[in-house]
Amino acid sequence: MAKSLGIFVTNPGNMQHVLGITKAAKAKGSQVKIFFTWEGTRLAKDPSFPQLAEMADDVAICADSYKKMGFDVNDVPAGMTPDKMATQAQHGAIIEDYDRYLTL
Amino acid sequence: MSKKVCFLYANPDYVVDGMRSALGLAVENNYAYGAVLVDMPKLSEHDQENLDWIRDMEGEVYSTVPANCEKNGLAPITLEELGEQLREMDVIIPFGPR
Amino acid sequence: MKILNVYRSEPNADIKKLVEIVTEGREAGEFKLYSGDVDYDKLVDMVYDADKTICWW
Repeated sequence: MAKSLGIFVTNPGNMQHVLGITKAAKAKGSQVKIFFTWEGTRLAKDPSFPQLAEMADDVAICADSYKKMGFDVNDVPAGMTPDKMATQAQHGAIIEDYDRYLTL
Repeated sequence: MSKKVCFLYANPDYVVDGMRSALGLAVENNYAYGAVLVDMPKLSEHDQENLDWIRDMEGEVYSTVPANCEKNGLAPITLEELGEQLREMDVIIPFGPR
Repeated sequence: MKILNVYRSEPNADIKKLVEIVTEGREAGEFKLYSGDVDYDKLVDMVYDADKTICWW
């Protein structure tokens, strides 16, 4: 079985699915990376975001999108490090390095 | 290894940022394409530059909506032609909500 | 080439047409994210079983 899954999140209505898929993939021993862009960055303010950041191996946010949603890039969501407030290159890393890809 | 990636846009509020994401993948040495399936606003000068940049990197942004091709210079495509293009893609990304 | 089509909502005519063309002559499966309780465990198995997954709107 493939062992890594990348998730590209562009829809702010999909937190339940992001959480459910991440939890199931981690239970199967997968490595999971999630990248949030545009309106998807609003999910950084979801009460369950810290739980997601703890479960996934790597969580990154498009800093430019986050700013456009009215957030301060220095306000790094719980469970993340400042270097993960990043660029679309994080999406490129998913495309390049992960066995399976989902967009939500 | 470079991959062929196509973004699909079905919500006018998500087209411009979705094009930015396509450009982001083009910069990362992928072949990035987009297809707009819904009537969208006129692109700003800055957004038009992003479109030009996607083309400079051998990508393209298509639309099945003739009005988008007229006002924004997108490449016209039929739904059937788009389906055939998608068969050749490594990654297909329906972007945002519908 | 095995393709998994994941639907985040009821597919419209455009999506159905694109799926028809993309999957023609290929092995294909589908998973609905919008119908009741979602079995994420099953979905992840299906994603890994497929060569490519398309998450339609």
